[in-house]
Amino acid sequence: MADTTSKKPFFPVDDHRHAAPLRTPKTLTPESRFWRSFTTSPLVSDLHLPVTSLEFSPSPPFDLAAACSASIHLFHGGSSPSPAPKPFSPLSSFSDVAFSPSFRCDGALLAAGGASGVVQVFRSDRAAPPLRRLRAHSRPVRAVRYPRLADKLHLLSAGDDALVSYWDVTSETPLLSLPAAHRDYVRAAAASPASPDLFATASYDRVVKMWDVRAAANSNSVLALDHGDPVESVLFLPSGGLLASAGGNSVKIWDVIGGGRLVHSVESHNKTVTALSLGRTGGLDGGKDGGESRLLSVSIDGYLKIFDFAAFKITHSMRYPAQLLSVGFSPSGLLRVVGTSNGIIYMGKKKKQREEEEDEGATAASEFDWSNPKPEKPVLRPTNFRYFRRGQNEKPGESDFVIKRPAKVKLAEHDKLLRKFRHKDALVAALNKKNPNSIVAVMEELVARKKLLLCVGNLDRDELGLLLGFLHKFATMPRHARFLMGLAKRVLEMRVEDIQSSDEMRGHVRNLKRMVAEEIRIQHSLREIQGMISPLLMIAGK
Amino acid sequence: MFTGGQSFVSAPPTFSNDGKKLLVCTGFTVSIFSTSTGMQIAELEGHTDRVTSIVVVPVAAPASKFMDYCWTSSLDGMICYWDFSVPELIKKVKVELPIFSMVIPNISNASIGSGNKSSTLYAFVSVEDKTKPDDQHKALRGQIRIYNLTSSRRVGGLLAETRNPEHIIVSRSGEFIGIKNKRKLHVWRIPEDFKPDEIKKIKLHHTKNLSALAFHPTERMVAGGDVTGRILIWRGFGMKKFTETLRESRGRPKLDEDRPGVRGNDDADSCSTWHWHPSEIKFLLFSSDGAYLYSGGQEGVIVVWQLDTGKRKYKPRLGSPLLYFVDSPDPSLSCVSCADNQIHILKMPTMEITKSIAGIKLPFSFPDVYDGLHKEFAYDQSNGLIALRTEDYCVQFFSLFDNSEVSQVQVCERNFQPVDDPTVCVALVALSSDGFLMCTVDVKLPEERLGSLVSLKFWTRGLRVGEYSLSTVIYEPHSDAGISAVCFHPGQSMAVSSSFGGDFKVWVHSSVSRLRDQKHEKAGWRCQSVGSYKRKPMTAAAFSADGSVLAVAAETVITLWDPDTNILVAVIGEALSPISKLSFVGKSEYLVSLSRSSKPQVALWNTSNLSMYWSYKLFAEAVCCAGNAPQFAILALSSSQNDIAVRDQEGIILLFDVENPVPLTTWLVKKAKGGGLAFVTKDQSLLVNGYEDNARGEPSLLAYINSDHEYIVFDPHNEDGRIGKSARRSQAPPEEAVPIGYTSIYGELPKIESNKGTDWDIPFVPSERPWETIFSGSSHVLPPLTKLCSTFLASLLEKRPPIADES
Repeated sequence: MADTTSKKPFFPVDDHRHAAPLRTPKTLTPESRFWRSFTTSPLVSDLHLPVTSLEFSPSPPFDLAAACSASIHLFHGGSSPSPAPKPFSPLSSFSDVAFSPSFRCDGALLAAGGASGVVQVFRSDRAAPPLRRLRAHSRPVRAVRYPRLADKLHLLSAGDDALVSYWDVTSETPLLSLPAAHRDYVRAAAASPASPDLFATASYDRVVKMWDVRAAANSNSVLALDHGDPVESVLFLPSGGLLASAGGNSVKIWDVIGGGRLVHSVESHNKTVTALSLGRTGGLDGGKDGGESRLLSVSIDGYLKIFDFAAFKITHSMRYPAQLLSVGFSPSGLLRVVGTSNGIIYMGKKKKQREEEEDEGATAASEFDWSNPKPEKPVLRPTNFRYFRRGQNEKPGESDFVIKRPAKVKLAEHDKLLRKFRHKDALVAALNKKNPNSIVAVMEELVARKKLLLCVGNLDRDELGLLLGFLHKFATMPRHARFLMGLAKRVLEMRVEDIQSSDEMRGHVRNLKRMVAEEIRIQHSLREIQGMISPLLMIAGK
Repeated sequence: MFTGGQSFVSAPPTFSNDGKKLLVCTGFTVSIFSTSTGMQIAELEGHTDRVTSIVVVPVAAPASKFMDYCWTSSLDGMICYWDFSVPELIKKVKVELPIFSMVIPNISNASIGSGNKSSTLYAFVSVEDKTKPDDQHKALRGQIRIYNLTSSRRVGGLLAETRNPEHIIVSRSGEFIGIKNKRKLHVWRIPEDFKPDEIKKIKLHHTKNLSALAFHPTERMVAGGDVTGRILIWRGFGMKKFTETLRESRGRPKLDEDRPGVRGNDDADSCSTWHWHPSEIKFLLFSSDGAYLYSGGQEGVIVVWQLDTGKRKYKPRLGSPLLYFVDSPDPSLSCVSCADNQIHILKMPTMEITKSIAGIKLPFSFPDVYDGLHKEFAYDQSNGLIALRTEDYCVQFFSLFDNSEVSQVQVCERNFQPVDDPTVCVALVALSSDGFLMCTVDVKLPEERLGSLVSLKFWTRGLRVGEYSLSTVIYEPHSDAGISAVCFHPGQSMAVSSSFGGDFKVWVHSSVSRLRDQKHEKAGWRCQSVGSYKRKPMTAAAFSADGSVLAVAAETVITLWDPDTNILVAVIGEALSPISKLSFVGKSEYLVSLSRSSKPQVALWNTSNLSMYWSYKLFAEAVCCAGNAPQFAILALSSSQNDIAVRDQEGIILLFDVENPVPLTTWLVKKAKGGGLAFVTKDQSLLVNGYEDNARGEPSLLAYINSDHEYIVFDPHNEDGRIGKSARRSQAPPEEAVPIGYTSIYGELPKIESNKGTDWDIPFVPSERPWETIFSGSSHVLPPLTKLCSTFLASLLEKRPPIADES
């Protein structure tokens, strides 16, 4: 008779008592899988000083600029397998610390600020002395930004002297100078992706201000957003309508078109968030195959978090073994870099999958061969074996009513043997499986049937060896100890002759002896600890 | 006053002719259940002792299929004839000796509708001869007698005498009847027109005691099962003796040819043995087509033997030893009776359980270690439920008012195997006063002091009554010591468990997870405090009505604790022997204690002045308190010896008021050993029916359950005690005529009158050559060919013109 028709369910022998709390296996979301597919390795590890900023060139091959101490390091983005330092790198024509490299929109020029207050503009393709030196700041310039749209002539700089300047680079003259734009150090600036005239600056006075260079002559900001903590980084999100600011432990998303409304606040870091960057899932090869944009944030606590600002949730998080100061994501979507405070730049590189390329080739081909008729699917005929299996793997549609087949009880081998009352075989089968919980469960079931000692008596030599090996390993495990210690003692008493007659058995017994000695030692030390703690507890109780 | 909790499995049940009703012997009555719903429809009341067998009168013609008549026999010495569709008693036949079994072999001759009313019915009854002394073991007390039911008198002599009354089996045709008698089978042949004085008998011998017997429906084959689990099949039995007269006429002398397996001079052609069952066979039955043999027994598996090949199929996991297997006139229906008082109705070819008729679980043997505990029931007073522990590690919730099972909760997840000495059992069940919390203790006994396990489980009730889900499991709550008692706080989620190991623990339910961050912190029961008194074994525990005082018995003294702060408040005096049960009396300051060991004692203690108020030297089985009223009832055994062998002990129920040591009322009861007592609230449906109740929701009825788990519920304050039965009579399903068998597939056959005088109503004109059209139409709508044949042939014949008649 079929088991499913009977009334009582079948209970497999299981270790109900010792079952660990159920942990649902963590399944990776596709997003996590994407982020994990980057192979992480250190790009540079001999800088020793904090990497304060990382910037990718906006044009292929997406070169990387990293600011570290008194130089800007340039890496060739197109080289494989990892970005190689350019021959003229590092640019070391700084008299002191260099900050905030920024590429021009065509990637031909690179501007960087310095601790002395001078902003220098370099060629990014070959070694040359600085093309321009922009002098207006009296304190270190921590924020230099080229506009992101097609404006090749101007740039914005902001420094610790709370001065914000908008420069005409060619003539080295500030078109706009906003003294005391903030009431504290300005540490971050961002250019709007929507307009070449819009900039945001953020300062330690906890305020993010937006400037329109066309209307800022009266030194009033367009918009002021109160972040609440000293702001470390600011970033426009791709539409230009949203702005992200990082300061303290939080990242805040603001709606700038809607008048500076706080849209969301991400409080997922445990320490100060130091840098923000834009990333993208999926898409390879530039912006061709979109993917979704993500906000990458790094923090002193060593975590890189990836935030989906469409769904307002953290989709992935990675930990690095150091404090993180800067982050960058290549527009190609293949490279992710993170800079730490001890001079290591970690690089995550995504392997380009060859199949995808081939796919692309194939689709491209089909675009041209549109006139070519598709090969017709041959009609299945009874001459084909598949004819008889057609539809068997069909998945139910959404509107289909699914009648589930009753779940089959899965029986382990020892369960089957126990059902046939083959007790010794069941015990041996469980011992061979080497899962301590199921072995103990089978033993307890045998106790309930009053057959355990009989089974132990009937074990032949190899099986006895198995049992002794199991006892040696697990008899002192606290959750089984009460039962297994007694059993071990009983086994030794019952099978004295067999044990004495074999060397192998004697080896097992020696192991057992050693285990017992070890356990006694542990118990002694536990006693000692208890003795030390109990007076403390007594005092605490009073 | 009403009773309930009868055993459904004291005798085999019987199906009615249409297979829609199942007649079950339930104590003094016969209950009729519907096989489609499993609900009780009606009850035949009239016997004054246990009903032992039912014989349904078969019907011959389908026209009279709603005629439901049956004969029943009972231990009160009566044979009754009933119309059970009404139900109504028609006739009584007095036998005057307790009848253990009755068969009516020639009943099919006298079946209704066959028109053969003249034949007399002869009942073969197995009676107990009360004239012989019971103490003499060799006395032949069982007798087989014949009664003429038509004229209500005894005919013939004794057919056989056996040591005990045996169950009589009749073959399907009624030609043979048989009994088992120790190591022999007695088989009688009953010819259709038999004289009571000339009945021939053969004996078939075996080497073991036989326990079951079955006749093949068509062939001369009898199967016997023995106590070791073997099945013997004798083929061609009685060829020599039963056909003696024929043989002489034919002159065919039977030679002593090879008769394999047949012992001695037994009259059978061959005997073969099958062995699968490890223990005694309880039933044997041939299928109605004669191709299969069903057998079953203690191990709870129905084995289906293919007769020709001896191949087996199994129907396992019925959860209990099996007792009877009965098939019905409807070939797709049969039922099996289990020892746990359940009748499963099986859908036949697949043996799928369609319905179960579950009675109250019968008492079973507990391991000896927990002998002191095995009398305890738990009661859900507000819903009128009793919680019983079952043999297959469940707790059964049984409604006292409806006399039906409410639910079963599986406590141990273990496959049940019927064994003689159980090693795992549910030792204790406790319910909170509102019934929303349950606590169970299950115990696994050690094998030579190895691997014992006590686990305490807390359950919470779901939305429906009797539906519990596991909340917390605590393994070895008092290390390896056994638990003596568990009880719940009346108001809040708190429980106490006392152990023989010398301590008690107070458990509280941490309602919400306090630390949100830690995900593993779940709601559950945890130990709040541990208390002990001079390391004495704690034997009983009880909370006071308001929950402010916890009384724990430390062997002979009672310790009173504050359950919240775990402070010992007071210690009260000394009982004569270890206290086994404690209970506060309502809201008063009095406390009752029972001691059951060698010096039995019932004592009432006053907790305000910490002294004994009064005590009796009584062996009390149970005590219960009437809600808030200062009254309590005690079930005491009239003889105080602690002897389990005397099951049929007289008991006495005493109702006390706390102020007065003289009992208010007493009632005498039977089978008190192992019984229980509880106050329950009146059923809400009864209140609606016009029974006024002064304090609504106050337990006012007393329920007494005896050792056989039969119970009686009565009003202790009302001498008349007429409460009336609950509304379960109205559960009869609407009787619609559902076609069965052939008619369910093809519909009713048209009546084909064989009377030549009437005109054929053939729907065509004879001149149109009817043989061409009569078979037109698809084959599945046509009546069978045998029915059509006469019509067809008649249509071929030329119809004589009616002129001849006129002339």
